[in-house]
Amino acid sequence: MSVLRVENITMQFGGVVAINNLSMEINKGEIVALIGPNGAGKTTAFNCITGVYEPTNGADYFNDSPIAINHPTGKMAKTYAGINADQYVGKHLHMTPDKITKLGIARTFQNIRLFKSMTAFENVLIGTHLRRTSNPFSATFRLNMREEKKLRAHAMDMLEVVGLADLADEKATSLPYGKQRRLEIARALATDPKLLLLDEPAAGMNPQETDDLGVFIRDIKDRFDLTVFLIEHHMNLVMDISDRIYVIDFGKQIAEGVPAEIRDNPAVIAAYLGVDEE
Amino acid sequence: MAKKNSKNWLLIPIIALIYLLVFVAEKVAGTSSMLVTVLEKGAIYALIAVSLNLLNGFTGLFSLGQAGFMLVGAYTYAVLTIPMAKRAAVYQYYNGGCITFTVPFIIAIILGGLLAAAFAALIGFPVLRLKSDYLAIATLGFAEIARALVQFDGLGPITNGSNLLKTYPTYKTVMFPFCAAGICIAIILLLIHSTYGRAFKAIRDDEIAAEAMGINLFRHKELSFVISSFFAGVGGALLAMYQGTLQANAFKSSMTYEILLIVVIGGMGSVSGSVIASFLFIACSEWWLRFLDAEQFIWGIKVPLLRSGFRMVVFAVVIMLIVLFYSRGIMGDREISIDRIIKKFSKKKGATK
Repeated sequence: MSVLRVENITMQFGGVVAINNLSMEINKGEIVALIGPNGAGKTTAFNCITGVYEPTNGADYFNDSPIAINHPTGKMAKTYAGINADQYVGKHLHMTPDKITKLGIARTFQNIRLFKSMTAFENVLIGTHLRRTSNPFSATFRLNMREEKKLRAHAMDMLEVVGLADLADEKATSLPYGKQRRLEIARALATDPKLLLLDEPAAGMNPQETDDLGVFIRDIKDRFDLTVFLIEHHMNLVMDISDRIYVIDFGKQIAEGVPAEIRDNPAVIAAYLGVDEE
Repeated sequence: MAKKNSKNWLLIPIIALIYLLVFVAEKVAGTSSMLVTVLEKGAIYALIAVSLNLLNGFTGLFSLGQAGFMLVGAYTYAVLTIPMAKRAAVYQYYNGGCITFTVPFIIAIILGGLLAAAFAALIGFPVLRLKSDYLAIATLGFAEIARALVQFDGLGPITNGSNLLKTYPTYKTVMFPFCAAGICIAIILLLIHSTYGRAFKAIRDDEIAAEAMGINLFRHKELSFVISSFFAGVGGALLAMYQGTLQANAFKSSMTYEILLIVVIGGMGSVSGSVIASFLFIACSEWWLRFLDAEQFIWGIKVPLLRSGFRMVVFAVVIMLIVLFYSRGIMGDREISIDRIIKKFSKKKGATK
C-alpha cells in the first residue's frame, strides 16, 4: 500500500519550471531518498507535498486520499510549460500545512527552523499541540491538567528518543548544530506522524555524526512504525539506509531504483555523482 | 518545566503586599491625591498594555487598533449604565436616547469586553491574513473608523454623537481598578502559559515552522486577536470609569501609540515589563515631570525653558534615552523572577570576596 503518491506534479514559478511532471510512490515502512544536484527541486518537491506550495498541476495522495490537486488556471494556464494540464481540470484541493501535518506527515527543514525563544523541551512540546483536546478556556483555567501532563510526558519521551533529555531546559538555539537537527526530528516525531520527511538531516554533520544518524533514522522508523522520505547529499548515508532512491535533475526524474542500480546508472553519474564527487 | 527549589512563589506575597500598600496609600493620601490618580490610571493602562503585548509581543501580530477596541468597551459601558433618570439630560440633543434599560456595572464592563471581542472577530477575518506593516495599517484604520462611527450623528440616539457621556457610575476606591486589572492580567498570564500561549509564541518565532507543527495560523491569530481585544474593551470600560466623562475624541491613534510605547519600553513579550512600564509611564507623564510645566524661580532667578508643555519635551528625551540604552525594553522578553534576583545578588557578593 502506498503511503504517499505524488502524481504528475509540476511546480512553476512564473516562467521557471522548478518541478516538471514528477511522479513518485512511497510504500509503507520504506526509507526512500530523494537526491539530485543543488537546485534540482528537491525541497520544492517537499513543499508541494506538505502544502507550503500549491502545485501548479498534478495531485498528491496520502494513504490514497488526496491532499493536493490542482491544474493551471488564470494566467498560469497560458504560461504553463508542463504536460498533463488537462488531466486535473475541474478538480482542486489545497490543504494548508497544518492540516497535512494533522493527517500524519511531519517534516524537518533544510535551514533549521527551531523556535528561537524557547527551550529544547518547549520546542518539542509545540509538536504535541495539535493532538490537544482542550479548548482555549479549559487550557487557560487549567482544566486540562491530565492532558497537559500527558503531552509533557510525550514530549519528554521524544527528547529521550533523540538523546537530548539532559538538555531539555537549554535554549534550542544554543545547542550545537547536530543536536539542533536532532531536536527538529524530535519535534516532528511529537506530532505523531506516519510519514516523516527529512530535508537534509545530515547537513553540517561530521562523518561520525552522519553514521550515527543513519542508525538513528532506522531505529525510529522501526520504533514508531514510520515511513521515511529524505533529501540528502551525503551519498554514503543515502546508499546505506535507503530502500529506494529517486534522482531528479532540473525538476525532472532521471532515475529510480535500489541503491545499487542508482550507483551504476550512467545518467545519474553524469548529472550528479560524477560532477559532485570527482 | 518548573524547576526545583524555585523561590518564585515569593512573588505571591510580594504582590499581596503591593495591594496592601495601595490600600493603605489610598487611606493616607486621600482618593483625589496625585499618587492615587497615578495608581488608578497606571493599573488600567497596565491591563491594556498587557492585552496589546499578548498580540504584539507574544503572537507577533503588529496591531495598532487598541484604541478602537477600548473605545468600543468604554462606550458600551457608559451607554448601558447611565441611570434612566439622567438620560434626558445627557442625551439632550437626541430626545433622551433610544436605549431604555440599564445593566449592572459589572455586566456592562464584561459586555464592553465582549462587544470589542465581537468586533475583533469580525474584522479579524479579512485583516489577519495580512502581514506585519499591512496589519498595523488595517487595524489603525479600523480604530479610526470606530471613532468616526461613534461620533456619527445618525448613531446619536445610542452614542450621543460627539457630545459628552456622563453621570454613569464610577468606582469609589482605587482597589477596584487594581483588582479588576489584576484578575484580567492573571487570566492573560494563565493563557500565555497554556498550550495555546505556547502556540502563540511559536507563531511569533517562526510562522512556517509553526504551521508545519500543525498549528492553524489563522485560527490561533484570530484567537489571540479576539482575546486581546476583549481585555482592551474591559480596559476601555475601566478607563471610562476613571475619567468620569467620556468622549470619542480622546481615543485617537495617539492613545494606541502611548500604549505601544509602554509595551516597547517594558519589553515585547514580558507581562511584568508592561505592568512596570505603564506605572512608570503614567507617573512620569502625569506626576513626576509636572514641575517642568510651571514657571519656577530659584533664588529669584527665573529658570529658563520651563513653561507649559515643556514637560512633554523632557518626557520625549527620557523615552529616547530608555530606547537607546534598553533597546529591548526594561525586561526584554523575560519576566520578573525572584530566582534571577537572588542569583544576581549572590553573584555580586561572590565578586567582592
